[in-house]
Amino acid sequence: MSTVGLAFKVALVYYLVTLCDNGFLSWQCLTRPIVIAPLTGLVLGDFHTGIVMGAELEAVFMGISAIGGSQAADATLASCIAVAYTILNNTGIEDGIALSLPIGTVMNGFGQFWQPLVYSPMAAVWEKEAVNSPNTFFIKNVCFYAIANLLNSVVLFVAIAFGVVGLNAFLDKLPPFIMRGLGAASSMMIGVGFAILTSMVWDNEIGIWFFVGYVLVAYAHLNTVAIALIGAAIAITLFFSHKRVIDAKNELLAAGVKAGAETGEEDFF
Amino acid sequence: MAKKEFTAQENSVLKQMWLRSHMTFINFSMTKMEANCFTMTLMPALKTIYEADSPEMKDALQRSQSFFNTHAVPLAFIAGLTYAMEKDHAEGKVDTTTIENIKAALMGPTAGMFDSLFFNCLRVIAAGIAIGLNRQGNFLGSVIFILLYGVTQSIAKYLLLTAGYSLGTTFIDQVFNSGLIQVLTKCAGVLGLMMVGAMTAQMVGVPIALTINTGAGEVVIADVINSIFPGLLGVILLFVMVNLIKKGWRPTQLIGMIFIFALVGALIGLF
Repeated sequence: MSTVGLAFKVALVYYLVTLCDNGFLSWQCLTRPIVIAPLTGLVLGDFHTGIVMGAELEAVFMGISAIGGSQAADATLASCIAVAYTILNNTGIEDGIALSLPIGTVMNGFGQFWQPLVYSPMAAVWEKEAVNSPNTFFIKNVCFYAIANLLNSVVLFVAIAFGVVGLNAFLDKLPPFIMRGLGAASSMMIGVGFAILTSMVWDNEIGIWFFVGYVLVAYAHLNTVAIALIGAAIAITLFFSHKRVIDAKNELLAAGVKAGAETGEEDFF
Repeated sequence: MAKKEFTAQENSVLKQMWLRSHMTFINFSMTKMEANCFTMTLMPALKTIYEADSPEMKDALQRSQSFFNTHAVPLAFIAGLTYAMEKDHAEGKVDTTTIENIKAALMGPTAGMFDSLFFNCLRVIAAGIAIGLNRQGNFLGSVIFILLYGVTQSIAKYLLLTAGYSLGTTFIDQVFNSGLIQVLTKCAGVLGLMMVGAMTAQMVGVPIALTINTGAGEVVIADVINSIFPGLLGVILLFVMVNLIKKGWRPTQLIGMIFIFALVGALIGLF
């Protein structure tokens, strides 16, 4: 099949997955690289590459995802394009991974440009709609979203149909150190996502557990399922021992209130 | 937590609300954020409480359109709670300011709590397991990711929606003032950090290719460093970036820095 035909298929998968998840599930799950990359691989005829790239892309984008509406890179578009680049050009997975973050950043810039233009002016319209014609509010929302969501899909179609093969030809002409640098960058870039995650969760009191997880892999070579189970056991134990302290504190407080004593809220942590 | 029996009408309303609460991010705007989903979720409930086109109905719809933003899962909880409060309001027991205030007061804490439970903990675990399987070419990883991170959100939504409706406002005082939320957040953080640490060891690397010729043979610098502490450079890189983030660096700047570092490094033969 021609590149244009394949690009159409990928754009269709992207459209359906984003419509389904962002519109009707809100899981932020099907749009993750680990799901969309295998699907992209499937329609491009190389399921295996899609599955393996899904794992690598998920690692790259793990910490880089939307919280409260702002993000640094569009993981979904980047995954589609990176997989298409790798399969259509028959390059190694590393090249596709190395290109995914810059592509995701550019694509995200595009989204941040058009989304406020389309959705923000609508806010006032929706308010009037909700109050004056509540019966059609639901169906209007669905239709509007179904149309607005087309925009990214069209961009994705154009990018794959007319961009990825040319991009490969261009990169081939560059001196070899550039691709070597991009490859080195890709394994360091995974660290960016993890650094964002770490800084969100980090708390000096519990920071040491990061190294416990690290050591379980680096020295004990355990897999992630085993570590998740060990971690869950530790977290549950910690929760119940803290809970006992809090219960005791609340009982004391309640007793204090009964006795008519004024007790100030203590900060427990 | 006493279980309350729902009437047939309540059950059908709650089911519709549950389905509609899945549209959290539809037509998301920076000005109102998730307000459209909140209106749609609440609408089946409002229709049973107020008469169509009555001024009360219009007021309630207007209320539902105020700015709303939290994690997708507790949206269902707040919607269930608002259902209970609107019902009380129709009976004259709760005033509109209370409804607005409770909604606004719950957005922040629920967002923080569910981000740490679902986004920073369950998602990281699910992705960690899925990445391991997918790397071996096993699609099961993606399926497990959807089950662990996606389907669980829907189940949690249903439980929280019904809990919010049946417990009403009494529940908020109990849970949010008892201090259990902070403990739960912290314990989820322990699990999340362990998984991030584990995946850092698996995936983050600084692939330096330097060798030193000692005369007796070549010494590979990367091997020397890894024999001191496996993946030491990756951990150092990670914590340098954590520090930069705390200093206010944007992710885009970090990505840019790594690209420049990697390209310059490749040019001078470091990588």
